Amino acid sequence: MTQILIQGLLLSGLYALIAMGFTLIFSVGRVLNLAYGAYLMVGGYIYFYVAQTLGMPKIAGVLLAAVVGCAMGLLKYRLIVRPMKGDHVAIEISTLILAVVLQAGIVLVFGDSSKILLPIVPGVIQVAGASVTYNILAATLASWAILIGLYMFVRKTHVGRAMQAVSMDKKGAAISGVDPDSVNMITWGISGTLGAIAGVFFASYTQLSPSMWVAPLIIAVAVVIVGGIGSIVGTLIVAHIIGFMEIISVAWIAPELRGVFTMLLIIGVLIIRPQGLFGREEL
Amino acid sequence: MGLRWYHFVLWAAFIGGMFMLPEFASKGTLRTIIFANFLAIFAISWDVLSGRTGYISFGHPFLIGIGAYTTAILTKRFDVPVEYSIPIAVVVTMIGGLIVLLPALRIKGSYFALVTLAYMELMYQLVQVIRPDLTGGTRGISGLTTLTRGAVNGYYMSVSLMLIIALAMWLLMRTRVGTALSAIGMNEESVRGSGLSPTRLKFFAFLTSAFIAGLGGAFYVHYLGSIAPRALFEINFAFTIIVAALIGGASTIIGPIVGAFFLTFLLEFLRPILPGAERYFVYGGVALFLYMYQPKGLYEIFMRGWAKLRGTRT
Repeated sequence: MTQILIQGLLLSGLYALIAMGFTLIFSVGRVLNLAYGAYLMVGGYIYFYVAQTLGMPKIAGVLLAAVVGCAMGLLKYRLIVRPMKGDHVAIEISTLILAVVLQAGIVLVFGDSSKILLPIVPGVIQVAGASVTYNILAATLASWAILIGLYMFVRKTHVGRAMQAVSMDKKGAAISGVDPDSVNMITWGISGTLGAIAGVFFASYTQLSPSMWVAPLIIAVAVVIVGGIGSIVGTLIVAHIIGFMEIISVAWIAPELRGVFTMLLIIGVLIIRPQGLFGREEL
Repeated sequence: MGLRWYHFVLWAAFIGGMFMLPEFASKGTLRTIIFANFLAIFAISWDVLSGRTGYISFGHPFLIGIGAYTTAILTKRFDVPVEYSIPIAVVVTMIGGLIVLLPALRIKGSYFALVTLAYMELMYQLVQVIRPDLTGGTRGISGLTTLTRGAVNGYYMSVSLMLIIALAMWLLMRTRVGTALSAIGMNEESVRGSGLSPTRLKFFAFLTSAFIAGLGGAFYVHYLGSIAPRALFEINFAFTIIVAALIGGASTIIGPIVGAFFLTFLLEFLRPILPGAERYFVYGGVALFLYMYQPKGLYEIFMRGWAKLRGTRT
């Protein structure tokens, strides 16, 4: 029981970090970024290359992954999302194509086989009979730190409040002197950075492979659909629902079914309560 | 229906040309064209549902997979003859189409696209876990009955199937039902306002799409002779179907066919240069560029060029 509680908390922290960048784009730009999973993949591979192949310090790997993730987010907004002018279907399809292109790019550079990432923080600790790796503990702590930082950023700073304003009403924000375009730009940059950092931790939790982007995308999608509002607190709650569901299904039902319940939750919520568990303005 | 003489001429030329092809093309080219034919069938099926009504499905392999697995399990595990198993597979796929319809009654746009993606992933995971004695688990089923032997026969089978579906859909889309389906994609509320039932039209579109997907999936599996979950319920496969329809031109019949042939031959052309999954890098890049340049696809590019050639007389 304690074991499930601990494992669930740790996994949920990681999932909250994964979903955060995706919800941020969804709430500010009202766009689903289907290439979000590819940010995680690219972040993980860059860390792998810098820290494990080149043997440079681990922190340099994480930083470089974050910088590249940020650049990818900005470029994608400039080159793909803005020219589409808010055509949601076109943006979703082109981001999906982009994700496949990035996946093929990874195969081109790093090859098809999956790679094991050494733990970022090595070591194991025994807590109440459950063995907890320092690695996932670090991921969860980093996730909490980033989430609190993001929450403060959105609430307290000028830019953060501008993001809130655009997410509530784009036209109203524009009238009040907020430039929605530059706010969107900043949001895409933050989203890319968060995605790449989450990718480093996610890759160290599972492993690196060119098709690793689908699973985190599904998790992020599930959080957006089930939570609905795209707020930071809502994301946190739903990430815990999904994380605990997965741990419980692995422990009590069958390990093979770990993803099935997440999928059933998405489908069930969309059919029974399309506005999400915590309400959603549109739709 | 507004049929003109040149419609008959163009269709006759197209059908005649496709049937003459084995006289000129090598066996290797024919095998490539067989895949292009099946991809064209899947793209037409996707287009009936998503291109027309605007309900974008990211999980079309879900429907194709139901058809393919049903006939594979029936023939292999229960020794049902192919003549019965394929119609049963089509019916089961249409029931699957109703499952996809269910969320479409309440949600639209991005949320619908996401739930279809979830369907596909769910199917992928369930197929491997539930009754592996029937589905063959991760390895799938091999050694299935094949309908044809040799490239030429396979070509005739696939091209006939593709042409029958294309012609039937072309005729269907020229009726008032076809117009109404496209109207749903433009504005669902005004369709309701015109006294038509969007629910019924969606019901029809989803069943038609599932019918084609089931038929295509069942024949495809009996052409290949094997089936595996990773090859079928993959996001790359869904991506290829969607891109084929969009690159060629959504909401047309010839568009998905052109798109399917273009992409299959592009992939085949790249094989000597890039042997593995890296091909998707060029392939996706071309698709992304074409889609950004003209979201209505090659059909629109061709039509504009044609209008320019003919001058302003039209």
